[in-house]
Amino acid sequence: MTSLFLKLGVIGILATQTLYAVKFNDCYRIEDIKLPAGAPPEVGAIDIASDGTLFIVLRRGDVFRAKPTRDPAAFDWQLFASGFDNGCGLDIVSPTKIRITQMAEMTEAEDSDGDGSADRFTRFAHGWGLSGNYHETNALTRDGKGGYFIAVGTASFSGPTFKHTLGTFSDAGRRGRNYSAVKWKGWVLHSDAHGKITPWASGFRMANGIYQDPRGELWAGDNQGDWKAITPLYHVEKGKFYGHPNSLVWDPAFTKSKDPLAYYRSRLDEYNRDRTPPAVEMPHMEINRSAGEPMEIPIGSHFAGQMILPDNNGERVTRLMLEEIEGVWQGACTHLIDGRGLRSGNHRARFTADGKQLFLGQTVRGWGIPAEGLQRVTFLGPVPFDIDRIRITRDGFKVSFTHPIPDSLKDAQVWKLSSCTYQPKWTYGSEPENHREHAVRIASSDEKSLTLKVDGLASGRVFRIHFPKCDSPDGSPLQNNLAFYTVNRIPITKPD
Amino acid sequence: MRKLPILLCLALPLFADEPRLTFDNRPMGSIAKPLVLRSYLPDPGLEDSVFSQHDHARKVSKYNPGLGSDVPGEIQPVPGLAAAIGVNFGPSLSYVFDTTECRLLYTWQGGFVDMTPYWGDPDKGSRVSFDYVPRLVGTLFWQASGPDPIELDGKSIQQLGPRVFTGYRLENDTPIFEFATGSTRFTLSITPSNKPLSCDLTLTSSSAAALSWRGIDSPPATGKLTVTLVGSDLSKFQGYQRDNKITTASAAAGETLFNQYGCAACHSIDGSKSHGPSVGKLAGHPVEIEGLDQPVLADRAYLLESIKAPNAKIVKGYPPNYMPPFGLPEAEYDSLILYIQSLDKPE
Ligand code: HEC
Repeated sequence: MTSLFLKLGVIGILATQTLYAVKFNDCYRIEDIKLPAGAPPEVGAIDIASDGTLFIVLRRGDVFRAKPTRDPAAFDWQLFASGFDNGCGLDIVSPTKIRITQMAEMTEAEDSDGDGSADRFTRFAHGWGLSGNYHETNALTRDGKGGYFIAVGTASFSGPTFKHTLGTFSDAGRRGRNYSAVKWKGWVLHSDAHGKITPWASGFRMANGIYQDPRGELWAGDNQGDWKAITPLYHVEKGKFYGHPNSLVWDPAFTKSKDPLAYYRSRLDEYNRDRTPPAVEMPHMEINRSAGEPMEIPIGSHFAGQMILPDNNGERVTRLMLEEIEGVWQGACTHLIDGRGLRSGNHRARFTADGKQLFLGQTVRGWGIPAEGLQRVTFLGPVPFDIDRIRITRDGFKVSFTHPIPDSLKDAQVWKLSSCTYQPKWTYGSEPENHREHAVRIASSDEKSLTLKVDGLASGRVFRIHFPKCDSPDGSPLQNNLAFYTVNRIPITKPD
Repeated sequence: MRKLPILLCLALPLFADEPRLTFDNRPMGSIAKPLVLRSYLPDPGLEDSVFSQHDHARKVSKYNPGLGSDVPGEIQPVPGLAAAIGVNFGPSLSYVFDTTECRLLYTWQGGFVDMTPYWGDPDKGSRVSFDYVPRLVGTLFWQASGPDPIELDGKSIQQLGPRVFTGYRLENDTPIFEFATGSTRFTLSITPSNKPLSCDLTLTSSSAAALSWRGIDSPPATGKLTVTLVGSDLSKFQGYQRDNKITTASAAAGETLFNQYGCAACHSIDGSKSHGPSVGKLAGHPVEIEGLDQPVLADRAYLLESIKAPNAKIVKGYPPNYMPPFGLPEAEYDSLILYIQSLDKPE
């Protein structure tokens, strides 16, 4: 009797929780934050101080700060500092001391006399060059030990170099579409707590954002383009090469050729052996055109522990479901938010300490028409009906959802799986190759998840997972019915 | 002595929360609140010897991103300063201090810089242009030459070893630059002078040796030196002038404009994809448009609309709101169209 009573009780609770339809607007609120009047809202970087103060770096050189208010138009912005060249990385050391990666160096700006604005500008880290090209911006993340990882952008062939460069000039590095004419362009550098830099990993085209997650794993995205087939997310490890050849002119360990671009241009097989592929590849049309700063969703919102990746060239933010399979990172991607009032230009992301709000800093880095400013996404509490996770199994994928799924999804016929490969090369992006359709069977299912057995599951492929839009039995509309899983490795051991 | 108070009155009061840099492409500071601008800055023709701590860029062969290899032609590096700081006190003084050479590079009066080539034309709504070097505004009255003019016991500090920039501080909002050679530390501040075409220099050093500035007579000083740098009218600059003066449309003018307006950054002419579709073999061919069942012919009207109002028809596979609309004189539209049409001719 008791157990039956308990069961009924539990069902009762579940029922009250889910027996109403949860729509997008019940889950997220998107607001435009009003910036200081007259300031060009080209948000290069953002960060939140321990006391909750939000700092923003504008790319022409001003740094403002404000305590966020409920009213998105009521932020009381104060000018904290000015005089930075295209600052695209920001760390708040204390409410009166910040560090910024600008074009030529990383600078510490401090308000030493307590009057509210910075008066000391000290060079913190330097040692990378600057060629005079507009594209060479830099991003940072804390290393957890008082130091930083700094992602140093390459130059673009649409801009020149100066006759006199900061740092040694390399003729071979200068070749090509996106280039590395001076030191450490296309590298991730490590700076210790005293600003001493060491090269860490190479092969980036434009890691517009770098991020060390709470477990100490380092992540960086890149932009589709030369040697980047589609939009990649990399798990960054010391000493590895991530595919853009020009940076190798600065690697003393790369002895194969003095002209890495020409060398790999004609040796794609060797190139594929030498490079570390992305953990996740995101088709640029469907998911993400230009990766901003990766950021883990903190405890406090649904999808906690997953990662977001702002799209610098789309009105959307990607959601990444990463997993480590026998030492290799990979996973699925879909949208966190697609449209719904989000602007394009997304590239910097910060969650508030309670994990319930996300600030997105937006700027057009190159050529497009302005899509810029600061937006705030509030996670209102209710969980949307969405893909919760996609995990790989030995012979397919386990797809789980945040709400109960309708019976219609348990019919294998509705699942459309296909896959293809991508070969990064000198062209601006690469077309999908070796397209294949995959037959699917439903191996098992329960209230909220399905295990798909996929014919021909293979590594080195990006799987497109598509199924019809539908509602949960509680009436909640499904947010996403398309995801892509990058298979770098198929688990041998049986997953739990 | 009379100039200073007048300029002080002219200086607009600035509130702490006002942006220092706005959409005004000719930003200015004031004597009370100088403007510090870190940006790529122009090189007004400095002699090579001034760049002893820089490297020289060399010309490279032209690269075709579609082929992935070099093609005939060369690309030359352009003049410009990568890591310098521009400071403006209003009309009375502007100067450029370079963080790589740790020295004052040049000084001018009567304006600061025109950022249009870097920041873009605010009326066009764009944020960049196809040239990243601001232009000077005003009268250049002094520029660096030869070895570093700071001397210890009559010897240029350039002979002591590399100069290393360590930062700057603001005292009453005026920057004081800090640098070192070996264990000797220096500071330099540059402020408006009441003499015409001049500025005042205040130099400090941690060394006990006699401090002087080459070419300026001054009583012997250790630790701190204040001198006036007296210049002369070297040249005048008027900011950025863009007038293409195209009266008759032509494909050749169109090619120049195609590069000048940065079209080339998004469009190849060889059929390869970039941020936007290639404009090679476009004219006279059908184009697939988002939301339309039938392709549209890329005739003159279509090309004109694509440049004037890119959002009117979005090419399949490309994002809307990406190509900026270009508001141009008729002869420039016509030239661009003639150029795109010329790309369709068989080689
Ligand atoms: C920021 C990148 C960008 C710049 C700069 C740019 N475009 Fe575009 N352009 C695009 C994109 C993306 C498209 C496709 C989307 C669309 O139709 O608007 C496009 C479409 C076009 C088309 C139609 C192409 C077709 O295949 O039908 C023409 C013609 C064109 N642009 C010409 C120009 C010219 C001329 C300029 C310079 C005055 C220019 N564009 C500058 C990105 C750009």
